[in-house]
Amino acid sequence: MNNNSDIFGLSLAQLRAIVSEGIKGGDWCDLYFEQTIYNDLLLRDGTVASGGFHLDYGCGVRVLSGEKTGYAYSESTDFQSLIDAARAAGAIAGKSGTLKLETPPATPPPPYGMQLHWDDADKKQLASWLEKLEAAIRSRDSRPSKIIALLSWSVSNILMYNSLDQLSSDTRPLASVTVTAIFKQGDATEQRNVSRSFRCGREMLSDELIDTLAGEAVKDLDDSFAARRPKGGQMSVVMAAGASGILLHEAMGHAFEADFNRKGQSVFCDRIGQRICKQGINIIDDGTVPFNRGALLYDDEGTPSQKTYMVRDGVLTSYLHDRISAAWYGVAPTGNGRRESFRYNPIPRMRCTYMESGADGTLQDLISEVQKGVYVDKFANGEVKIGEGDFTFYVNRGYLIENGRLTMPVKDINIIGNGPRALADIVAVAGDLKIDDGTWTCGKEQSVAVSCGIPSVLINNLTVGGE
Amino acid sequence: MITDVEKALIKECLVFAGEEGASDARITLTKSTEDQIATLDGQVDKVTRCADRTVNIALFVDGSFGSFSSNRLERESLRRFIRGAVQTVKMLAPDSFRKLPERERCCVSAVSGKEMNIYDPAYNGIDAPARRRAALDAAVSGKPLEGLPQGVKLVSEEGEYSDSEYDVYVVDSQGLECRHTETSFDYGVEVTIEDPSGDKYSDYWWTSSPLLSDFDASACGKTAILRACAQIGARPEESGKYNMVVAANVASRLVSPLLNALNAYSLQQGNSFLVGSLGRQVFSGNMTLLDEPWRKGETGSKLFDSEGVATKEGPIISGGIVMRYSVNTYMSGKTGFQPTVEEATRPRLCPFPSEATDQSGLMQMLGRGILVTDFNGGNCNPATGDFSYGISGQYFENGKPLRPVSEMLITGNFISLWKNFLGAGSDYRRCATKLIGSLAFGEVDFSG
Repeated sequence: MNNNSDIFGLSLAQLRAIVSEGIKGGDWCDLYFEQTIYNDLLLRDGTVASGGFHLDYGCGVRVLSGEKTGYAYSESTDFQSLIDAARAAGAIAGKSGTLKLETPPATPPPPYGMQLHWDDADKKQLASWLEKLEAAIRSRDSRPSKIIALLSWSVSNILMYNSLDQLSSDTRPLASVTVTAIFKQGDATEQRNVSRSFRCGREMLSDELIDTLAGEAVKDLDDSFAARRPKGGQMSVVMAAGASGILLHEAMGHAFEADFNRKGQSVFCDRIGQRICKQGINIIDDGTVPFNRGALLYDDEGTPSQKTYMVRDGVLTSYLHDRISAAWYGVAPTGNGRRESFRYNPIPRMRCTYMESGADGTLQDLISEVQKGVYVDKFANGEVKIGEGDFTFYVNRGYLIENGRLTMPVKDINIIGNGPRALADIVAVAGDLKIDDGTWTCGKEQSVAVSCGIPSVLINNLTVGGE
Repeated sequence: MITDVEKALIKECLVFAGEEGASDARITLTKSTEDQIATLDGQVDKVTRCADRTVNIALFVDGSFGSFSSNRLERESLRRFIRGAVQTVKMLAPDSFRKLPERERCCVSAVSGKEMNIYDPAYNGIDAPARRRAALDAAVSGKPLEGLPQGVKLVSEEGEYSDSEYDVYVVDSQGLECRHTETSFDYGVEVTIEDPSGDKYSDYWWTSSPLLSDFDASACGKTAILRACAQIGARPEESGKYNMVVAANVASRLVSPLLNALNAYSLQQGNSFLVGSLGRQVFSGNMTLLDEPWRKGETGSKLFDSEGVATKEGPIISGGIVMRYSVNTYMSGKTGFQPTVEEATRPRLCPFPSEATDQSGLMQMLGRGILVTDFNGGNCNPATGDFSYGISGQYFENGKPLRPVSEMLITGNFISLWKNFLGAGSDYRRCATKLIGSLAFGEVDFSG
């Protein structure tokens, strides 16, 4: 059997018996075993004096009867506990299925791994890396009053088995460095949050990463202190390459998730095959970007990960599917069935969502086209109302654009728009795609790690908050 | 529910920690069970059974501190876990401010866990058929729908009934022993409707109660549908300054940033727009915010915080003056502030101008303005208090709603917003843990 089966202590025959019990209540049954050890070290007030680790262990049993779901989990993986969980999940009832045997699909090599395993980490060395990071920020600017730096890492050992007799396993690392720095200038206070997150080992803790994070923490700080609220209203918005991909996540990605469409809730339901934005625009959800926070070898129902074109040349070509929605639509799953942990059933979720580079020149070209608008390049959070398609995202930092030039720095503004209209209002896409490697987390019912990216784009008619 | 055997094991963990070299320790066992029945368009769509347990272990070793957790409760597994945890703490830098709370601050009255009367024994009598009935009875799909405008159809209804039992038991090496137990009965529903032109509108409603006898989900589906219908044809108003009423179901969104800013973690880091505010008049003199954690039978009531410190009733803000920061033991040492509970437990904003004030009364009082019934995204800069939120709701004149509003933003600063506080209703939802009624503010910047 596969290597992670040792962790959970069950034989293939026992897995078959558990699934056979569950499938009595439906036509599909799968098991999701998980052992995650999460670690953290926190630097505060110049010292790493706080840390810990957290163990989470268990197995979720899902039974499907058509589109209906029965779900139960156990924090013990002894055989009888899982038989009980399978019976509880099977309470969804319906027609009774049988265990089938199918050849599992070919799986590509994992898009991540650990050159230096976290289990071998010397925590004093990790603490000293955080101290170097703090020193690097202070060496670049004299104004930090407080710096908090959090290093967190987890390694999840996953084993999946289903009623097609398919067995798959994965070891998923996820490591993040998050810095919150408070800068004081006279009576004024400025807060900066910078982060990086990857599916990799300790090799991520390089001097280069320290330079990157420290540089970002103090970048254009004078402008941030000088920044003001703009006059609010509808205007053109140039979104910088990288983190502006939150636009795709909120305004389009959620509305492309197939569960919302299957239930008739999404503003994009029944629009497959239709043009939804200008020719040349390609929007992708990709689980195969190497070491990316949203990368997966398999999704959480055992489907190999893939690169999924949602929009190709301006036409809506695919929703994001889990097994339930794929069966409902009669298409293959796209590897988007994800879950927060064994405590949750999988649902369609994004991975790394981005737009391919366009052919409309450079960022500067886009800015020069705008008479009055804003340029935005640093974001916090976003949200969407699926039915209406209304989305918002919060801008930490940007600049006014006046007569084709960046002028007054702006900050702390929310931007609101409507997904289908915003897509149609993308009038220019630069050729500078960038994936943002910050600690993006999507909170649709459950929290999962995602990422996003975009080239610089010019969008007309978004509403900018202001005075 | 936590058993005597588990309580003994948790106490034994204190012994393990001491034997492995910890000078002090606090061990918290949390157990919960929850059953959920989700419906889609009036049919059962998902049945979920949850059973969780977690041991949280706070260790104080040679002046250093670490925090750990595990959901493996086997005795030998826990012993090995604690051994590894102690070794990890030894690698961390010492921090002289890390210590257990003083005994005299700790709770002594939470013995059975049921002192707050929010544990309902009726929970144990609910079986699977009763849960299905509760979920299906609350659903409105396929039943006659009153109040649905002509030509408007219900596209989707997703409901979820759940009931749960939550039990937490805390001990520490100074003799602390307390317990809190509660039940909860919940129903939430999200609906999507489509108007004759094919535009969709979604909305939600929910209810919750710790006691089955107080639980009534019958109005949730209809409320959600009426809220969605109220948004048909919504568009932005012209940008400008408007008076604003915020509906009670979302009003806590404008109070939470104040509570965060009054937390000593934010204050100590200078990441708070309320640094130096203790004892000062910062907000409108009409604003009084109380903490009321001892109300028996009420959602959110609790006798102790996660350190085991006894909660207290009293003002957080009184007449616009900041009366209390939230300061745990660690932050008290670091800042010199008097220690309190770690955060407000069950805050309640006092109604103004009268106990009878409600949303309708506030709209009448203001005459013209925008009623905010939902927020859509947005954030607050914790260091400056500057905020910007997406909103939807109703434009009103003469105290009456005239037309729906959407795709608008409110932008401002929390200190100036609450200086312009004009009123609060007593119409807060009992099922919430923050008791904030409808709110009224003057001169708010709206962009659309």
